[in-house]
Parts: sequence; C-alpha cells; structure tokens
Amino acid sequence: MRRRTVITRGLSVTLGASPGLGALLSGAAAAQSGPIKVGALLPQSGPAGLFGPSSKNCAMLAVEEINSRGGVAGRPLQALFGDAGQPPAEVAQAALRMWRSDGCEAFVGMHDSAVRGALIGLFKGQVPYFYTPVYEGAECSLGTFVLGETPQQQLEPVIPWLAKERKLKRWYLIGNDYNWPRDSNAQAKKFIAASGGAVVGEEYLPFTVDNFDANLAKIKQANADAVLITLVGGASVGFNRAFASFGLADKVVRLGTLIEENTVAGIGAQNTLNLYASSGYFANIDTAEARAFAARYAKRFGADAPPLNALAQSCYDGLLLLQAMGNKAKGLTVPKLEAVAEGITFDGPRGSSKLEQRHTRKDIFLAQARGTDLRVVQTFKAVGSGQTCKI
Amino acid sequence: MDPLATTYALNLLYQLVVLALAGLGLAIVFGLLGVMNMAHGEFMMLGAYSMVVVQRAGAPLWLGIPLAIAVCAVVGLAVERWLIRPIAARPFDTLLATWGLSILMRKAVEAWFGRGYQSIEHGLAGTLLVFDTPYPGYRLALMGGVLLALLALALWYRRSPTGARVQAMVNNPALAEAVGIDTRRIAAFAFVIGVCCAGLAGALLAPLSRIEPGMGLDSLLSSFFVLVVGGLGSLAGMLVGAGVIGGTQVLVSSLLDQTYGYLAVLLVAIGFLWRKPNGLVARG
Repeated sequence: MRRRTVITRGLSVTLGASPGLGALLSGAAAAQSGPIKVGALLPQSGPAGLFGPSSKNCAMLAVEEINSRGGVAGRPLQALFGDAGQPPAEVAQAALRMWRSDGCEAFVGMHDSAVRGALIGLFKGQVPYFYTPVYEGAECSLGTFVLGETPQQQLEPVIPWLAKERKLKRWYLIGNDYNWPRDSNAQAKKFIAASGGAVVGEEYLPFTVDNFDANLAKIKQANADAVLITLVGGASVGFNRAFASFGLADKVVRLGTLIEENTVAGIGAQNTLNLYASSGYFANIDTAEARAFAARYAKRFGADAPPLNALAQSCYDGLLLLQAMGNKAKGLTVPKLEAVAEGITFDGPRGSSKLEQRHTRKDIFLAQARGTDLRVVQTFKAVGSGQTCKI
Repeated sequence: MDPLATTYALNLLYQLVVLALAGLGLAIVFGLLGVMNMAHGEFMMLGAYSMVVVQRAGAPLWLGIPLAIAVCAVVGLAVERWLIRPIAARPFDTLLATWGLSILMRKAVEAWFGRGYQSIEHGLAGTLLVFDTPYPGYRLALMGGVLLALLALALWYRRSPTGARVQAMVNNPALAEAVGIDTRRIAAFAFVIGVCCAGLAGALLAPLSRIEPGMGLDSLLSSFFVLVVGGLGSLAGMLVGAGVIGGTQVLVSSLLDQTYGYLAVLLVAIGFLWRKPNGLVARG
C-alpha cells in the first residue's frame, strides 16, 4: 500500500518534467478532480458500539444524497470509516492513517470527548473536523465545527417549561461519573434555581453499577418530585427499570438528556410513565423534513434497519454542514471553511440550523415516552448553544 | 418498622438472592469440574433471550423458563463434549477456551437479535406492601422462589444417591471411579446442570435486567467475586460469599455512595485473593 503510493508519487514527479501531462497526472490534480474522501469516525465497538450500525447508515445516506445533488464544490464525496469505539490514542492512530495515507480531506466524528481531545491534538486545525454528538460544551478549536446539543440547549428552555407544566420543585440529579453528566448538571443547577426549584440530591455512579437500589432509596428519602438523568446506555436502562418497579414512576417525573430510541426500548413500555427526554432529534419528530428523512432511511436500509436516534442522525447532519460550508467556500481547506463558518445555515431533518461560535443554533424537542415511543410534546425554536468561541 | 430500614433490609436480601442465583451455575461447574467457565454470563444471557423469544412469539412468559433450560442444556452438552472434555485437565486452557466461547455466543446473539436493548414485560410490575413499605412484587416473588429452590438443592446434594456420587467424584475422582462411579458422565452432567442453572438465572432475572448481547460480563464478575470470598466449590461457601459481597455493596452504597460501594467490593475481593485465597469456606 505504502510502497505503491511512493511509486505513484515518483511517477508523477517524473512525468511532471513535461508540464501538460504531468499536471494532469500529478497527485494534486487527482485530488482536485477525484472524490473528496471524508473520514467518518464512528463507534463500531465498545460501549457506544450499539450506535455504530445506525450511525454508519446515516453517514452513508448523507453521502449518497449529497452526491446525487452534485457533491461538494463540484466533487463527489467518498466516506471512509474508522472505529471510534477504541481508546483515544488508537482512534488518533487510525485517523492519522486515514488522513495522511488514505488522503481524507475532512473528518466527521461521533464519539466521546476523550477521543475528540486526541483528534484535535492530532489535526491541529490542519484538516476540518465536524464533531456531531450531544456533548458537554466548551470546545473551541480552529477547524473544529460542533453540531451536538450542549447542556444549555437541552436544559435552559426545557427545565422551566417542564417545572411549570408539572409543578416541579425538588430535583434530584443522577448521572454516570464523567465530565458530560457533571458539566450538564453544573448548568442544570442554574436553570433549576431560575425556575424556582431546588436540588435535593446529586449523585454520580461508576459505569460498573448495575444495582440502583441505594440511589432509589435516597431519591425516595429526599422526597424528590423530579429526577434529571444523565446516565448513559445500559446504566440508564437498569436505573429506569428499577425506578419504575419501585412504583416511583407514578409520582416522580424523570427527564433525561440521553434517553433515545434504543434506551427506551431497553427500559420497556411498563417502565416509562412520566419519562421525558430532551434532544435535537427523535425518530418520530412530526415535521415534513423529519418524516421524509425517516422514509428515505427505511427505503434505503429496509424496515429492519437499526432504529434512528439522535446520535446516529447527527452524523447525517455533520455531512450536511460539511456540504453547506464546502459549497459556499468552494473547497474544504480550514482557512476557506473558517471564512464562511460564522452564520452559515443548513436545512435538515431537524429543521434549520445555524452555525454560531462553531456551534449550531437549532430547534430542541421535548418528548414524553408513551410505551416505548418518544412523542414530542413541546418544540423550542432556534435555541442557541450558550457557547462563545473566539480564536 | 421504619420504611427506610425495611427497604434497606429487603434490598440486602434481594442482592443476596441475585448473587446466589447468578453465582450458583459458576459454583457448580467450578466446584465439580475445576473449570472456570468464563462463558457463564453468556449462558445467563441465553436465558434472558429465551424470555425475549417467548415474549415475541406472544406465548405465556413462564414458557421462557423451560426454553432457557432446554437451550442451555443443548448448548451445554455440545460444549462439554467437544470443548471442555478434551482439555478438562488443563485449567488455564479451559479458561481461555470458555472465554473464546463467550465471545462466540455474544456475537451469535448479536447477529440474530442485533445490538439493541430488549425488555421483558411481566405481570408482576406493581409493588406490594411489606410492613407498609412498597416493594417490587416481582422481586418478592423471586426472593421467595429462590430461597426455596436453594434449600431444595442443598437437601438433594446432601441426601440423594446422585448427590453422594457427585461428592465422591469431587473429593477423590480416582477412588470414585474405582468403586464404579462413571465420573465422566457425572462431569458432563455437572457441566450441563451448571449452565442450565445459569440459563434459569438469566431467565428469572430478565424482567429486572438490561438485556443486550454484552450483559453477561457483569454477572460473571459479580459471581466470580462471590466465589473468591466464599470459597470455591461449596454451596455454603457460595451463600457466605454472596452475603459478604452483597452486604458490603449494599451497606457501603447506602451509607456513602455507589463509587465507594464498588471500591469496597473490589477491596474485599482483592483482600481475599491475597490473604485467604481458599475463601471463607474451604473445601475439605
């Protein structure tokens, strides 16, 4: 592989002696006319591996649709996939290969913040990088464009609305023990206080916990009337099942910022009473764009395809933003993209999004679980990310 | 009674029951064969997915229990015959082989059902009042059932002729064979019984668990801790181990928080491995 690259390069250098032919065959010319390779770093293993298949589908769908519309700056896209479910250093290694050997000109990433940190250290603003999932905020790097919902987006409009609607005063915060739940709750406390409520308990659990009895006893003892859940995946499933089995679901409202379609399927229809979720996307948002997107997804990947969810769909949006910026900038280099970044808009299944401070302003949906369906009960229009990012 | 105290007491009992139920299969296989079955959690997973299959078919949920036992018996027989028996005398090899088996089982279930979560809906979803404290009905039924079953198993092991033959094989395989006990058949039998116990546990715990292909690992870890503390290969040891591990976890988690609860369990397990590797109830 590598030797062949060297040989081709040698060949193009030799041919470069005769200007016309050389320019036609040189690597630079090939890169200008061939497809734009985009590295899609999606979790194919590890705890987030559950989201791998649906994320990959969404990325593939985006690439096919963008190419059918003429590609980006006149060139078609080609997706190369890397496993972002590995430890940060290994993902960075894979990304380096995709960048330097395979010739990726941009990256789309759906993975945790530790991996993001490693990638930003690797890219150093030399290749554009679109980071798509829900995250804790505060990312600000040259050439890095963030699509995910921040805690401000998911909670600032939602907490006061829900507190008023359900008369909530006493909030209990529970999450897994890492930066996303802790940073989310730091924001949540401000919004709870502003809504006239109080925090009556705050707990962070290691990922290994699968028995939540002690936490449920404390929630009951604290006489909470709302629980804000920033548990992830299996922990959220186990917690919510146990929560309902103790009869708490009848009296206590639950709000989660990462309760998506897979998690609800695991929680089960018997255990979702008074369970709310806040997100920029749900599989059954009732808008024309979202319904059309879901229909195209089902048509392309079949009725048995892994269910749509916010994390997977964010990969689709990442590529839409890449398309919008690349077309406006007529290229995908970081300086060109940075020049058009602020204020650029694109329309997708979530509605209209606008890039501000390298983050997206967009609609936020509050859904209530009905059985294992997440039904939108309130839409908050054009919610800002609450981030400032000046470089 | 103080409702909080009642809840904590029931939580403690529940934790013991879950650990004992989950640990039983592992204890049988290790105690009787000396094989550390790393695929133990995956047999529990098969049990849970048996419930999923029954639920999808729209059949009464309890049918998942015989299905779980049947599935695990078939898989267990095949695994014993072609994987365990050829290498049974080499403990480290059986450890690696069953670890490989666990990966195969996870991937097979993933290919069939997908990576997503499944959930079991059941008829005992409400709470029952225990000393005026509401407690999940399914848990109460499970606790009662498992305590009775463990009692029956202990009696059978002590009193029945098969139980006696098993004890003979464990204590002195050569002598057992000399007096005409077919140890090979008993070994196969013990392995199948062990994994069927795991499957049964998985099926019974399914309504309380997150169900996904990777669910087995947690059960394997907690079962392993129980055996480390209790001592390998006796029912009494397993119960003592479940008591120590479950008690530590529930007490520390309730008094401090879950992080310290888990830390305490790890420290207890490490302490036992270091200072008392045979566990509290060492086999004679």
